[in-house]
Amino acid sequence: MKRSLFYPSLGCVFLALLLCLADTVHAQEADAFARANQEFAAGRFGEALDLYNGLVNRGEMSTALFYNIGNTWYRSGDLGQAILNYERALVLEPHHPEAEANLRLVRDKARALELRRNSVERAVGRGTSAQYAIAVAVSFWVAAFALAGWLLARRRSSTLVAILSLSVLLLAGCGYALYLLETGANGGALAIVTAKTTEARLATADNAGTVLALPPGSEIKILSTRGDWSYAALPNNLRGWIPAKNAQQVRM
Amino acid sequence: MMKVPMLALRIQVLLLAFFAIAGFSAARAAESPSVTAVLTDSETTLGRPVQLEIQVTGVSNPKPPGEINVDGLDIRSAGVSRQYSMQNFGVNYSFTYNYTIMPLRPGAFRIPPQVIDVAGKVLRTPELTLNVVNSTGGQSAGRSRGSNNRDANVDPAQIGFVEMILPKNTAYVGEMVPVQIRLGLNMRAPVESLGSGMQIAGQGFTTQKMPEPRQTVETINGRSYQVFIFKTAISAARTGKLEIGPAEITPVVRVARSGQRNPSLPRDLFDDPFFNNFFNDPAFAPSMPKEVPLKSTSTTLEVKPLPPNAPAGFAGAVGSFTLKVDASPKKAQVGDPITVTATVIGRGNFDRVTAPALEDERGWHQYPPSDKFKQDDDVGISGAKTFETAVSAKERKSKVPPLAFTFFDPVKEAYATLKSEEIPLTIEGAPSTLGSASAAAGPRATSPTPAVSATPVPARQEQDILYQMNERPAVVANFTPLYRQRSFWLAQLLPLLALLGWVGLNLQRARAGNREAQRLGQLHQEAAELQRKLRRNGSTPQEYVADASRAVQLKTAIARNVDPNAVDAETAAAAFRLDEEKRARLQSLFRESDELRYSGGRNGGAALSPEKRQQILDLIDQLHA
Repeated sequence: MKRSLFYPSLGCVFLALLLCLADTVHAQEADAFARANQEFAAGRFGEALDLYNGLVNRGEMSTALFYNIGNTWYRSGDLGQAILNYERALVLEPHHPEAEANLRLVRDKARALELRRNSVERAVGRGTSAQYAIAVAVSFWVAAFALAGWLLARRRSSTLVAILSLSVLLLAGCGYALYLLETGANGGALAIVTAKTTEARLATADNAGTVLALPPGSEIKILSTRGDWSYAALPNNLRGWIPAKNAQQVRM
Repeated sequence: MMKVPMLALRIQVLLLAFFAIAGFSAARAAESPSVTAVLTDSETTLGRPVQLEIQVTGVSNPKPPGEINVDGLDIRSAGVSRQYSMQNFGVNYSFTYNYTIMPLRPGAFRIPPQVIDVAGKVLRTPELTLNVVNSTGGQSAGRSRGSNNRDANVDPAQIGFVEMILPKNTAYVGEMVPVQIRLGLNMRAPVESLGSGMQIAGQGFTTQKMPEPRQTVETINGRSYQVFIFKTAISAARTGKLEIGPAEITPVVRVARSGQRNPSLPRDLFDDPFFNNFFNDPAFAPSMPKEVPLKSTSTTLEVKPLPPNAPAGFAGAVGSFTLKVDASPKKAQVGDPITVTATVIGRGNFDRVTAPALEDERGWHQYPPSDKFKQDDDVGISGAKTFETAVSAKERKSKVPPLAFTFFDPVKEAYATLKSEEIPLTIEGAPSTLGSASAAAGPRATSPTPAVSATPVPARQEQDILYQMNERPAVVANFTPLYRQRSFWLAQLLPLLALLGWVGLNLQRARAGNREAQRLGQLHQEAAELQRKLRRNGSTPQEYVADASRAVQLKTAIARNVDPNAVDAETAAAAFRLDEEKRARLQSLFRESDELRYSGGRNGGAALSPEKRQQILDLIDQLHA
């Protein structure tokens, strides 16, 4: 009897130790977050950024973290970095009201340029990538069940045909919306100009003709990279080369 | 035998090491930015401009120096030139910022160190000193340079000529006046080089960079000349009478060596000793390169000041211009950037042509413009300068307001302001309201800030960002889209398994249904065969009655989907809802069948009459569900 209880007890102790360890790590991260906030409140923005960035490097990413980083960069006077981090917060939580408000304010102050979005992209942008992915999965499985039912039934049911048609339409619509979100202006290629002065050029040379002057915080969509230069889609449907170090991608 | 390969190997290693070190040191050199500043002349006279060149090397994007202000000197930017070169696998960048310095009074001037921001590092130029004298002594000293090599026997007038042509003798300050300078060199004095190029002496004006001269051959007074035509433009920096020129050049030509005259030829064949010998022609006689100073006569330009009370938008452009404006796209949302392209076309001092401004900036954000100049002539006083300005509307708009560009027209002798037409477009969407955005966000539970007041905030009040988030969420997020996460695809296993299970169940049911159909088919077949057998009338009474009762059982089993062996007369009568008379007949049939089956025919072995058989057949036919 004693022998039979030994291994379960050992397992319980091990599990308890793991939980304690996880709790300790979580407490440490929370402590770093709180200390960063205190440094921010004290006006020591450099120290606050170090602590916040430490959390980012450890993978402890969250909307609140990027929002706070954005605020800290704003207070430090770097509007490009502030906009970048507000954008990151909004990728993680697309309708975060504080991040939206601060982004609007800082973007207006920096006079940052935004990528053009057509009406379809704006409509699609009301949903999130995760929502569309779930809708695609659900409509796919409904269509699969309806098709199987239709094939197995002795008599062809018009209801099943209607469900199959609707779910296929929904699948196509949500799939297209997901594609637009991932490849459009809000997609994975979205980057923010962080350098103080950036000029998009016609070729990969500093003396090439200028296409557009990009204030810090301006949105671009990186299409390809060649050496130290990135070819990007620019606001106002323009395209040009910019130094790769002058912009950072929103999605890390 | 092995020594030679070993030696070659060592040499290869040494060469590799040498190139590696050279490349590394070159790369190091390319990495370290440096700055120098030089004056083309450290001494000048009043009104005679000198050039200041600030050269930044080793960096790809230096921040240009700002405006240089020295009391007594008028220092103006004259553009930037960039050079790139590949050396030892590295790219060397060199930027030269040019300035034209016009002395306004005599004295010794110190040009302070200029700060250049190079990738976050601050570099300073050395302090420079410029001595400005009031007399022409310095100038003559400068001109006398290089005269040591001149041959006193050579008459420059026989070698060539320089003439300077100004199309007008009055101009306004800042106005571009084209200048054409013709240098003619006798074909008998082949040109080796044009020396340091054509220079226009004079004070109080700036000269455009001269392009390479055009060359022709002309015959003047019976002599053939190789003519070089230089084109440039000058711009007066001060008012009054300016002496332009002379235009000077010191070409290097080949002339016969002195003392090599052919004594057999008469002395007076030519007046000039330079041509006194046919064999002085370099094609036939020994010759040597000589610097031959040539200069034109000077001319006077009367410079008038610009009229007072210049319009507000005037930035120094003097000339004759037209304006062309366009905007794209024509339909946008509030906040979207719109590119306004303004092209100033014409003739004048394009370096002073600035971007046309929106006449009414209310409701618009205007971003810094970019510009490019496409010149139509050799010296850059005629062409088109295109400005691209990104603007964004803060509210709904139906047109881009006119753009205005102001310049001084020297022909009409008046300031002129060009205004573009309004460009119709459609700006849709809600106005950008920062205040409402901040207020809409509202205070969160974690917010230490006070609640937003209902009192309207003045529109011009400086907005500030919202508060810091104090609560760190327990859930860690990431930027990987859901559809790229493993958990998403693992979750798809659930509906997949459900689908497979459901399909399997349905297939099993279908298979079971097939078995039932087969059984029914067999029953139908058996019933049909029995019917045919009963009609043939060839069977014994026992067989007939047994077959009839079996036929009733089969019909009942088909109608009720039951086992035919379990059917008796009552079941069949109930299944077909028979009346009492038929029920009794059916019971009689089953009874007779049982008796014949179990008693071996002892009690009913008599033959069945045809009427009786017909009655049984009729009874069976009447069994319908």
